[in-house]
Amino acid sequence: MAAVSARYRRYLGTAWNCTLRRVTFRPCDTTFKQDIKDHLLAPLAVRRPKLVGPASIALEVVALLVVLTTVWSAYVVVKSGVNLYVYGTCNKQDSASCSLGAEACAIPDQTPTFGESLLSGDVIGAFGNDFVSLGETFSQIPSRMQNWDAEEYLPANASFLNDYDAKKETALEVIDPGCTYCLQLFNNIEEAGFDDRMNLTYIAYPIASADGYKFKNSLLVTQYLEALRLNPLEGAATPVDWEILRRIFTEDNDKGVSWQSVINGAEPDAATALLQDWSAEFGLSPEQVATVASVAASDEVADIIATNTQLVEESIDTVKIPSIIFDGRRHDGLVSVGDLE
Amino acid sequence: MVATGRLADFAYLDPGAVYLDSACQSLRPQPVLDALTEYYTTYNACGGRVKYAWGTRVDREVQDTRKAVLDLLGLSTRGHAVSFTLNTTFGLNLLLQQLPQGRFGQVVTSHIEHNSVFLPTMTAARRLGVPRLVLDRASDGALVYQPAQLERAVVVVNVASNIDGRLLTNLTDLVRDTHARGGIVILDAAQALAHERSLLAKTEADALCFSAHKMYGASLGVVVATHDLLGSLDLTFVGGGMVSDVREDSYDLLADDPGALLEPGLQAWGEIIALHRAIQWLGQVRPGGRAAAEHIQGLSQRLFEGLSDIPGLTLINTEASPVISVYAPKQDSHRLAVFLSQSQIMVRSGYFCAHHYLKDQLGLPPLLRFSLGLHSTTADIDQATQALARLMKGLS
Repeated sequence: MAAVSARYRRYLGTAWNCTLRRVTFRPCDTTFKQDIKDHLLAPLAVRRPKLVGPASIALEVVALLVVLTTVWSAYVVVKSGVNLYVYGTCNKQDSASCSLGAEACAIPDQTPTFGESLLSGDVIGAFGNDFVSLGETFSQIPSRMQNWDAEEYLPANASFLNDYDAKKETALEVIDPGCTYCLQLFNNIEEAGFDDRMNLTYIAYPIASADGYKFKNSLLVTQYLEALRLNPLEGAATPVDWEILRRIFTEDNDKGVSWQSVINGAEPDAATALLQDWSAEFGLSPEQVATVASVAASDEVADIIATNTQLVEESIDTVKIPSIIFDGRRHDGLVSVGDLE
Repeated sequence: MVATGRLADFAYLDPGAVYLDSACQSLRPQPVLDALTEYYTTYNACGGRVKYAWGTRVDREVQDTRKAVLDLLGLSTRGHAVSFTLNTTFGLNLLLQQLPQGRFGQVVTSHIEHNSVFLPTMTAARRLGVPRLVLDRASDGALVYQPAQLERAVVVVNVASNIDGRLLTNLTDLVRDTHARGGIVILDAAQALAHERSLLAKTEADALCFSAHKMYGASLGVVVATHDLLGSLDLTFVGGGMVSDVREDSYDLLADDPGALLEPGLQAWGEIIALHRAIQWLGQVRPGGRAAAEHIQGLSQRLFEGLSDIPGLTLINTEASPVISVYAPKQDSHRLAVFLSQSQIMVRSGYFCAHHYLKDQLGLPPLLRFSLGLHSTTADIDQATQALARLMKGLS
């Protein structure tokens, strides 16, 4: 603001004129920089002329830092803008930290950040990783503009919340059972009647972290969901895997704590017991419950989860959970009731 | 030199301000400001074309100014006329760009000239289709020439340098030798009129140009030229105020007013009138009871000695002068000027419109110039030299 004030506007005009000349490869013979420096140093020169030399060097350093930070800021603005357009978040490495995009659980990028690389002495890596990341983002611009069709990304053994109707459009959610925004999205879907208008299915994607999973029982729940998809209960009005998801996302225990919070905080054995109890409650016989438990721990389910993970990370290529594909678009993060209607 | 206080005619000046750029523009004494204000507030009329009282007073005052200018130079209206214009540069261009074709064989000037001379001599030579000869000036300011070099020459040189104040000491010989070979001499007297007028007394040069604003007047250019030169001009810059009659395809110039030939359009009447007052003031002022020239000489000596004593400073001048230029090889002159300005000491930095001589010929960095006026005091000089000495010591 000070730069455009009446007092300094003429200096800004001169600087801008010089900048324009330099970027168009024309000489700029202004003494603007020297003039400004001399005027800044003049009060010091009158009182302590010996300090003019060091102060002059300090001004040069400060000026260089200002230029570098300005250039870097411009770079970050461009990068954030492109990331926001492509991924719905200005911070691709930690999407939850960007308040400009929709609320979501971030899929953390394990690549060292710019600062972490610098601190570890990897200067080339710091710039290299950043530029590679930006390049990837630019390369994804066409995919952002494409027409998204959920049918092209359906997982194996997709189960639908309601009976599949070929006349309805298909919608595909990417969810982590432990993510609170997935809970909110499910509630928005029901409130908007979205599940009645669409053939709604999902990919369960447990978000990985540096030391396992972001929500410690997400993998376990996902294994059970996939096992239930492999062993559907005949005659069930709603697939049992969806019944379990509905319970996790919409119901509370007798202490008023949401089942999602209970599962997220439970030890694996307790969580397993809950899942098995719910399976029985939704109609599975004890033998079927045992079969599901066995299949959940099988390589087959592990392979399905690995395939789905690859589908989410490479084909859908989202960095935010939940994401949902419908109406020809990929919606990253929580979608409001209004947008679902 | 005995310390002198500020002249009462500059009492309006901030006591802390040290203005040392009179070579660019001198400060105006109160009587000059009063004359200008009186014109604007009591008889603000056009001259040369109206019959009402204000206008006839303007005509009288302007005529008085023309006469005062000629008197100042010891010249008479019989052979010379005075024209008013914008400044010295404009006056020189009015003459040089309207010289008749075919009469002159070359244009001669010197290396130390201000751009107001150096540039118009280039364009004049080009227009006349004649060669241009650039000569040296000796350390005493004399133009170094062989008489044969002046054959049918238009000689254009300054009387006093705006770099170091050196004077055209061989002016009389130059005029004589030029005239003997069919040439003319046009002088840039911008730096000479204020304090070095003696060289110009009864000058036989064909024309001289100067600026009122360098000799305590308001902003105004003045051309003093012989009737012969004015009558020979091939006028291309014409307009109202210089004709007696106009027809569809022709006009008659004023027959009895040669000075008007260089005055197309309305003039700066107030500034012309104020010049008369400045000339009167210059003739009367006696700082510390001494003549103005003597006072300036004393201040110049003090300034020269003060600057000579500062380690690390190189003086361009070889002797005292009201205009002294210096430089510090290890310091930027523009920076020094800005730093001095912080202490309200105003000096000029750069090449002072003499780029060719200072930059091309001598290869010097930008200079710092101190120039004195009659408002200057010994305290001003001491304050400036002490501040510069302190800066030079601290910055080294």
